[in-house]
Amino acid sequence: MTKKKIGVYVCHCGGNISDYVDIEKVKEAVKDEANVYLLKNTLFACSDSSQKEMVADIQTNELDAIVVASCSPKLHVPTFRGVAQRAGMNPYNYVQVNIREQGSWAHSDNPKGATEKAILLVKAGIARAAESEALTSSKIPAANVVAVIGAGVGGMRSAIALADMGTEVYLIEKEKNVGGHVANFGSLFTTDKMGYELSANLLSEVKKRENIKLFTNAEIVEKKGSIGNFDIQVKVDNDVLPLHVGAFVVNTGFDSYQPQQGEYGFGEQTNVITLPEFKKLIDNSSERLIFNGKAIKKVAYIYCVGSRQNDEGDNKYCSRYCCTAAIHASVQVNKKFKDVTNLHFNRGIRTYGKQELLYEESSKNGDIYLQFSLDSIPEITQKGGKTFVKVKDILSAGKEVETEADLVVLVTGMVPRENSKLASQLKIPVGRDNFFNEIHMKLRPVETVIDGVLIAGTCQSPKNILETMNSSMAAAAKINSVLTKGEMTLDPTLAKINPSQCTWCGKCAEACPFDAIIQTEFDGRIVAKINEANCKGCGMCTPVCPTDAIDLAGFTNAQIEGMIDALAE
Amino acid sequence: MATINPEFGKELKKYGAFDFNACYNCGTCTSVCSLSTEENSFPREMVRCSAVGDEDAIKESLKPWLCYYCGECTTSCPREAKPGELMMSLRRYLTAAYDWTGLSGLLYKSLPVSIIAFISVAIGVIWYSASQQFEVEKIMHIGHYFEMFAIAGVFAVILLPNLIRMWYFVILKPKVKVPFKSYITSLGELFVHMFTQKRSLGCDDNQVRWFEHFILVIGYLSLLFTTVFLDWFSATNLLVIILGYVESAIIFIVTVDFVSGRIKKNKEVSKNSQPSDWFFVIWLLLMGLTAFLVRLFIDLKILEYNFWMYLFHWIVLAQWALLIVPFGKWTHFLYRSFAMYMEKLKA
Repeated sequence: MTKKKIGVYVCHCGGNISDYVDIEKVKEAVKDEANVYLLKNTLFACSDSSQKEMVADIQTNELDAIVVASCSPKLHVPTFRGVAQRAGMNPYNYVQVNIREQGSWAHSDNPKGATEKAILLVKAGIARAAESEALTSSKIPAANVVAVIGAGVGGMRSAIALADMGTEVYLIEKEKNVGGHVANFGSLFTTDKMGYELSANLLSEVKKRENIKLFTNAEIVEKKGSIGNFDIQVKVDNDVLPLHVGAFVVNTGFDSYQPQQGEYGFGEQTNVITLPEFKKLIDNSSERLIFNGKAIKKVAYIYCVGSRQNDEGDNKYCSRYCCTAAIHASVQVNKKFKDVTNLHFNRGIRTYGKQELLYEESSKNGDIYLQFSLDSIPEITQKGGKTFVKVKDILSAGKEVETEADLVVLVTGMVPRENSKLASQLKIPVGRDNFFNEIHMKLRPVETVIDGVLIAGTCQSPKNILETMNSSMAAAAKINSVLTKGEMTLDPTLAKINPSQCTWCGKCAEACPFDAIIQTEFDGRIVAKINEANCKGCGMCTPVCPTDAIDLAGFTNAQIEGMIDALAE
Repeated sequence: MATINPEFGKELKKYGAFDFNACYNCGTCTSVCSLSTEENSFPREMVRCSAVGDEDAIKESLKPWLCYYCGECTTSCPREAKPGELMMSLRRYLTAAYDWTGLSGLLYKSLPVSIIAFISVAIGVIWYSASQQFEVEKIMHIGHYFEMFAIAGVFAVILLPNLIRMWYFVILKPKVKVPFKSYITSLGELFVHMFTQKRSLGCDDNQVRWFEHFILVIGYLSLLFTTVFLDWFSATNLLVIILGYVESAIIFIVTVDFVSGRIKKNKEVSKNSQPSDWFFVIWLLLMGLTAFLVRLFIDLKILEYNFWMYLFHWIVLAQWALLIVPFGKWTHFLYRSFAMYMEKLKA
């Protein structure tokens, strides 16, 4: 049904638009467009008074659609949908036209062109509004149950937080024991609490909660469904359990970078070890620091091993925790053993926040810091059974300095855990660094583009324990807020199949990035059907359909054609 | 290539430095220093050499002598690493490094050794005086000769060889090419700085400190001249007598102010006094005061019955001439001006 009474509002945006776009010309050009019943300009369409005026206009004139020509839809679509709703109009009968980001701002050097473009965009908007349809959101039941994958300290923290908010939790751990890397750590930085204690405390909290079910030696073998209603098969030992969950929190952690054979002498010289190995050595030594039967008096730490690599390496990122971990280890060494000198060969110390205090403590202990760049990395050599580390020290104006070292500790960073099976099961996007990717680093930091699949902890990026806990609890809060109502509202802008036109060629299912197209029977034929819980309304399926059997609500073929006609005038 | 030597830092701490390891190389000290230049920047570089333990670089450097300790670096340091005090300690360390006898280092590093040395000299003077039956006139005569021989001897045996060692560390060892002519043409720099300490005027703190130091140096040098060459204690010329009084008064008045500054710790330069600093100012004060009193006793004709006054003066003088001048803080008078001279040679 074509809308006959359309209200059109052209916004000045203070002067952001009207300084370049001639508002009067725009109004003049569109006033005679078909179905335009009301045409107004406004200084700020988003202001309270303008919104009230719009509500009154819609009600007194019984408008059946509105067009707001102002800024980007990213900014004010919810605002004007609210206006429509308050006026008793279906929010999907409102159309946003962007004449600021795509008009005045983009063409501030050409006001005449900006005005012409604005006229066409408004005309297209009117055409789209004319073909708009009232849409209503549908609701589906959702299970308030979360599968937390990985029972490291982060996963356990997510599970506890979820359980305390009333969500059922299945805590699924691949290994026999919980706690991940942290369970094997001794003293942790900034608190000096033991890693194994932290892990044990969390485990006892997990066990106290009846609504957490912990599975160890467990793995997801199959997954179906969509947010609110996933059906998974979990293999525990040799049994397979079917579980119904509303969402996943993936908290699978990291692996320590394993240096390559010969990297800083690793694997070739016995006294070149990694930081995790060194931490164990500290924990297992008492009174004297002894390695391979030899008392250690000088320790050389080489930083950024496996992190911040140049073009030859894959790991461009900083692993965040290692500077502090290495310095913490050196402070531990000074506390525990007498007369050990720590020499830190670093690329700039990144002990951000309160971790800086550790750096200060270590400096005041007399630790020596030497700084290198990737152009000239430290050289490890053996002379007469002794190990020497040589570097061009940036802080000494690039002067070459050398020291003997009893032990060389490679401060290794974090790498993503090998998780490709899980990633493909849950369709988690993987970034260029091979860590799991969030939607937006700042605005949506724990969600992935797959609804109902959240990420937290070091599977997302290198983090220290504090940051892992933060993101683990953020993910718990985020998904609880979605599932706790027991039902979910779906956006009505979904693809729709006209089964009588569909011949099931499968092209749409191939194009769909969200697995939202399934097969069904219609009139004794196989046709496509949209799984509405999965559909994001992205529109990938509509253009590939050879029989035009798919329409996208809110962006129907009729609307798009109307807009093209208006633009091509 | 330098070898990293963590032990050097520990050694340096015996000369007074502390906490320079806390430095994180921000360079604030260098940027606030009003004497540091782009070509000759300090103190960060010196802090760095100390932390790494690059002893050769420090021995080769004149930078510790180019700093006049206004203390702004120390007050600005975000890590409280006290770069100003490190520079001071490096001057003590260099004094010891230049000294071929090794006695400077011993005295700087150990207060008991210093006290033993001071007591030994005092005993020596008393013992010698006793062997002369405390005859005032005879001993004063010998005392005058002692002064002359001490000056000549200390200079020839200790200070000159040490200056040559300084030249070796700074010029010869690092193979700095200096045309012979420069040694002559740069002499002006040596004397200007020796007698005026002009460079310290560049410090931001204040000019009073320079002025006090300046008149102290002038007072000291002229009193030395008055006693040694004009034989003040035997002088009959009224002008010479008054001149000596004025000079010795200047010395103890200025040094009283220096000592009280070190007690009050009112300036950065006087906050971290080492024994060598106390010995230097207090002995200078005593020199001025006792010389003044000795002459006063002579003029009041009471010295004959108060021989102890001269004996006290001679003890102070002997300790000064045999310990503080060759091995103690007095040497900065030479090393600072020779540093400016060698800096000119290197340019």
